[in-house]
Amino acid sequence: MDFDISRIITLSLFAATLRMTTPILFATLGGIFSSHTGIFHVGLEGLLDIAAFFAVVGSVKTGSPWGGLLYAIVACLVASLVFAFVHLELKANEIIVGLALNIFAGGLTNFLLVAMLDSTGFYQSPLIKGFSQVDVPVLKDIPVMNELLSGHFPLVYFSFLFVLIVYILLYRTPFGFHLRAVGEKTAAAEAVGINPKKIRYIGLMICGTLCGLGGTFLSLSYLNMFSEGISAGRGWVALAAINFGEMKPLRSLVACLIFGFADALALRLQQFGLPSQVVLMLPYASTLIVLIASAISREAKKNAAAKQTKIGGAAEAGA
Amino acid sequence: MKNIVMKTPFKQRLKMILAETVTQIANYAIILILSLLVGAMVIYLTGKDPIAAYQALWKGAFGNWYKVTDTLDRSTVLIFSGLAAAIAFRTSIFNLGLEGQLYIGAFAAALVGFTVKGLPTGLHVPLCLLAGALAGGIWSLPPIIFKLKWKVPVMVPTLMLNYIGILFTSYLIAFPFKDPTAPMAGSPVLEATARLPKLLRGHTLNIGFPLALAAVFLVYWFMFRTKLGYELRLVGYNPSFAASTGLPVKRSSFLAMMISGMLVGLGGSIVIMGFFGRFMGGFSVGYGWDGMMISLLAQNHPLGVLPASLFYAALANGALTMQSTTGVPQTVVVMVKGTIMFFVTVQIFSSAIRRRFQKWTSTSAE
Repeated sequence: MDFDISRIITLSLFAATLRMTTPILFATLGGIFSSHTGIFHVGLEGLLDIAAFFAVVGSVKTGSPWGGLLYAIVACLVASLVFAFVHLELKANEIIVGLALNIFAGGLTNFLLVAMLDSTGFYQSPLIKGFSQVDVPVLKDIPVMNELLSGHFPLVYFSFLFVLIVYILLYRTPFGFHLRAVGEKTAAAEAVGINPKKIRYIGLMICGTLCGLGGTFLSLSYLNMFSEGISAGRGWVALAAINFGEMKPLRSLVACLIFGFADALALRLQQFGLPSQVVLMLPYASTLIVLIASAISREAKKNAAAKQTKIGGAAEAGA
Repeated sequence: MKNIVMKTPFKQRLKMILAETVTQIANYAIILILSLLVGAMVIYLTGKDPIAAYQALWKGAFGNWYKVTDTLDRSTVLIFSGLAAAIAFRTSIFNLGLEGQLYIGAFAAALVGFTVKGLPTGLHVPLCLLAGALAGGIWSLPPIIFKLKWKVPVMVPTLMLNYIGILFTSYLIAFPFKDPTAPMAGSPVLEATARLPKLLRGHTLNIGFPLALAAVFLVYWFMFRTKLGYELRLVGYNPSFAASTGLPVKRSSFLAMMISGMLVGLGGSIVIMGFFGRFMGGFSVGYGWDGMMISLLAQNHPLGVLPASLFYAALANGALTMQSTTGVPQTVVVMVKGTIMFFVTVQIFSSAIRRRFQKWTSTSAE
């Protein structure tokens, strides 16, 4: 086993990073919307599962990956509507509903796999029409850029574009302002005439749509197949990214890129003969490390701020 | 609080207890019937006969004496993981790492089971169980330490440790402890002295089940009859209130998490030592996740975990027979479980029934 670092860290590794980031990024952006309305959405994982499954069904039924995407988004919207109804109207605890959604999504896709596609565990067929890679006009002629940025699947470009859209929506539009107001001070938002329930419904629906995109990418790009537990914890990794990014899209993107890199590196190292069981721990371990690091830095900042006010207060008392 | 209860007339208190009991029974009965109806509808939609399917399901779960003991055996691990979830959830700790703790505990028990030789059963079995419980407990600790030290929310770390733990055990049986003769990826076979003694000749049921029963009552006693358990429940009920009244929130959280991990580790050990006889990759069919659902179904009450686990075990075993005899996919029970979870979480029936009783319980004199 020759361990040449230049053979591991290559341009194609960074290109793989971008595509491994995509599903996490979609789920993260979705989660940012629900988090901003004050709902800690544990069900992202389940939504990705549901989307990945219905994308395959839609692709087979319509013969086009875009049809698959449509199916996935509709399925996620329905699931999100149920989530929203149970949490907002029937006042059930959001975490418990989210957990139930995850477990139910796993079981439901399993059941429908048998009932609709007549297979157990996974489904792979030439009938599944996946997306095809797109070459970006100008970039594809620039040496390094073509390998890194060109020839990705359309949803990869969408996901990074959505970071910008989400940023603008959250921080540059009245809707974004209302959304953040509901999450930060519900009573105050209500007092100025914002309907928190309506905003939360919208937030959850946007979250569902974005998870629909993320789940579709999982099953209709590269490997055109659905397998049990296809989301492999990415919904939870997204929650870690939101935690790291403190609900800000650009900061969360940084975390997503770290996790995407860990995913890509794990895939790459497997080809070098390392035991897959150990290498596959990498994305999960990196998630843990990022979570802890961001928590420590947050605590340190808080302590520093507390010290500052203490000193300030003491100086004032002295004067 | 106690004073208020003492002042209420005896007759009214009796009425209140009676009303609550009837409410709970009616609530679960309605939920059960509704969810079975949903299941029947799904079976009908797949083009099969729901009545025949349910008959097969019943036969598979309780059809004869062997099936009954099989169902009891299947419920053992569910009871342990249900209790593990209940104790954590009651303390408001969302330990989502039960699955990983189960695997690590099970592997530790297996390790002691196939490496230690020459002990009598009376020593070897307790030693394996102890190893399993300790390993499960230790594996549950990092997330709670992260939480108490740096305020990292427990959910994501426990979940990440699921993946890491399961991958770790699958590495162990693929490389250092690989048994090339195993039919699937598995560890060497446990020593005969590490196998759990059977309760009945020819049945799968072993001493794991009575241990699970004992655990139910121990956890109940701990949670509701000891000072430590009382603190745990107060912390779970309102952490900030508990902290401001000087309760040891950190100690309670730590304790609840560790006991949770130990219980589910014990459950995993029992499956390996009782049923499989060697550690197998992927041996748990979501026992940890089922435990959480069971705990929620039991409203996080240790005594409720017992019937909920039996119900889950019956569904699982019955579904296997249903699939083999009527061709209805066993995953249909997922729809039943999902409907149950839905109505348990939204609590619409119990509050509706309680409202009907309100007038009756408030009139005390007549």
